[in-house]
Amino acid sequence: MDAYTVGVFTNIGLLSFLGLSAYVLLITGELSFGQQAFFGVGAYAAGVGTAMFGLPLVVATAAAMASGALAALVVGLPTLRLRGLYFAMATLAAAEMFRILFELLHWQRDVGGERVGPDGTQGFRGIRWVFEQGIEAAGFLIVVYGVLALLVAALVFVERSRLGATLRAVGEDPEQAASLGIDILRLKLGVVAAAGAVAGLGGALYAHHTTYVEPRNFDIMLGVHGLAYALIGGLGTALGPLLGVVLDIGLLEGSRLFAGYRMIVFGGLVALLLVIRPRGILDERIVHGWRHRAWRPR
Amino acid sequence: MLVDLAQNTLDGLGAGASYAVLALGFTLVFGVLRVVNLAYGPAIMLGAYAATWTSLHVRPGLATLAAITVAGSVVAGAYVERLCFAPHRATGLRPGAAVAAMVASFAVWMQFEEAATLALPNHLYTFPSLTTAAPLPLGPLALRVETLVSLAVAAAICALLWWLLYRARFGIAVRAVTERPTAAALTGIDPAWVSVRVFALASAVGGAAGFLVATTHGQVTPHLGMWTTLKGLLAMMIGGLGSLPGAIAGGVLLGVLEAHSQWYLGPQARDLVAYLLLFSLLALRPRGLLPARHTG
Repeated sequence: MDAYTVGVFTNIGLLSFLGLSAYVLLITGELSFGQQAFFGVGAYAAGVGTAMFGLPLVVATAAAMASGALAALVVGLPTLRLRGLYFAMATLAAAEMFRILFELLHWQRDVGGERVGPDGTQGFRGIRWVFEQGIEAAGFLIVVYGVLALLVAALVFVERSRLGATLRAVGEDPEQAASLGIDILRLKLGVVAAAGAVAGLGGALYAHHTTYVEPRNFDIMLGVHGLAYALIGGLGTALGPLLGVVLDIGLLEGSRLFAGYRMIVFGGLVALLLVIRPRGILDERIVHGWRHRAWRPR
Repeated sequence: MLVDLAQNTLDGLGAGASYAVLALGFTLVFGVLRVVNLAYGPAIMLGAYAATWTSLHVRPGLATLAAITVAGSVVAGAYVERLCFAPHRATGLRPGAAVAAMVASFAVWMQFEEAATLALPNHLYTFPSLTTAAPLPLGPLALRVETLVSLAVAAAICALLWWLLYRARFGIAVRAVTERPTAAALTGIDPAWVSVRVFALASAVGGAAGFLVATTHGQVTPHLGMWTTLKGLLAMMIGGLGSLPGAIAGGVLLGVLEAHSQWYLGPQARDLVAYLLLFSLLALRPRGLLPARHTG
């Protein structure tokens, strides 16, 4: 694979985390415009870990996931009683506040005679752990997809369990779910934290891929893209968001088809697709069909 | 000290007037369709781009430019309505139709941004300024002509909307559909046709606001689309979703608050304060300052 292809595939992998983060919330019936903030929190936290304090990537990534979950809980606690658009707007406002706080964040320390750390709007340079370890782009690609595969497997496992059924029940009809004795608030707090951790994980890997992050990377555009990936790919399975990213980045940008008109073509296709399949390509009905086919004796 | 306070309030009122008009357009669509149109701002941006393109080739007067901005916004808005909202209205009872329509409007936003940069590839274009006249002295204060015009236009639009919605036959249909869609349909009102006309009206109102913003700032960039959507959403949500008086109050409050926080705390704090206000309001008083009487 040449460097360009590796780059495209790495981007597909990294954006998938954001799509999955939005997906986890969507199946529970919550729409978030703010997952990009936790992606950003993860990116900054992991960068602080490896570049400023010399921690190994695994430890820094764990810290990034914890920070993402914590930040999501801080946003989620006062807003979870909101529904639909109100929750979406609250997450949007919160995410923009995080972005502005990144712009105001100046925290640097000397590492090997160099000032390293977040420098406000100038961003956070020199997150070079992967490079310093001698890991090549193709190697990091394998790391990204390894982590992504583990995450998707975990999500598929959860969705086939009792917890998965509970999540979808809450997403379909929260009142009815509550009447069945499901503690909705506790469940949703858990989901919000998990979605924050997933976004933080993606952000940590993203920062180590680009080696440089700046606050405006984490603006509303990124968040709405994550949301769109989940909805285009489909809400039936955790593979849906991945399909959404592949369609956007892989098919259109990667193939350099429609160069210069990519967004016009893609935007139109998405709008039309959502008319035919409002819950995405791999929606619940299709996925349900797969399962039954798998069980039916031939 | 006191002069600064008054001067900022005055400048904030000018900005707030355009925010209020933006929020009015937003909330009109939401009231009838119960859907957020993310492409609202980008459609206005496209209208402003059409006017900019015209001003680069011929040198029309400001009134012509305003008309082109409004007409461009309406055409772009009609496209959004046909592609993103009309098909989903048919399936309106299916859960998730509103979300699908909203994401579709985001997809169209992407189209608009690319279309704008294809037509005018530079990052920034100057937009003809409203006036080069010096601010009018008002005691110790300076009243910018733009502020005066923005306030006058906003007041005229409010009066027109009030007449349309509360005195004209069209308004009765709109309010009926907003309050009880099913009952409205049973009395022979065609909700689809009402939605189309409300969409056109909202786009025209938004286009007027877009012209005010572009001529006050004296420039347009593709970023205008996102800016317009965000300011409109903020003002609408602060005032109360679906409430017309709320949209005006939210817009004015946002404008004045931004002017003060920019003056005392700087530009980053200005945005931070605006989002903090929205976040706290949603957490404490989710239905906004002046909530709509009827909930969907």
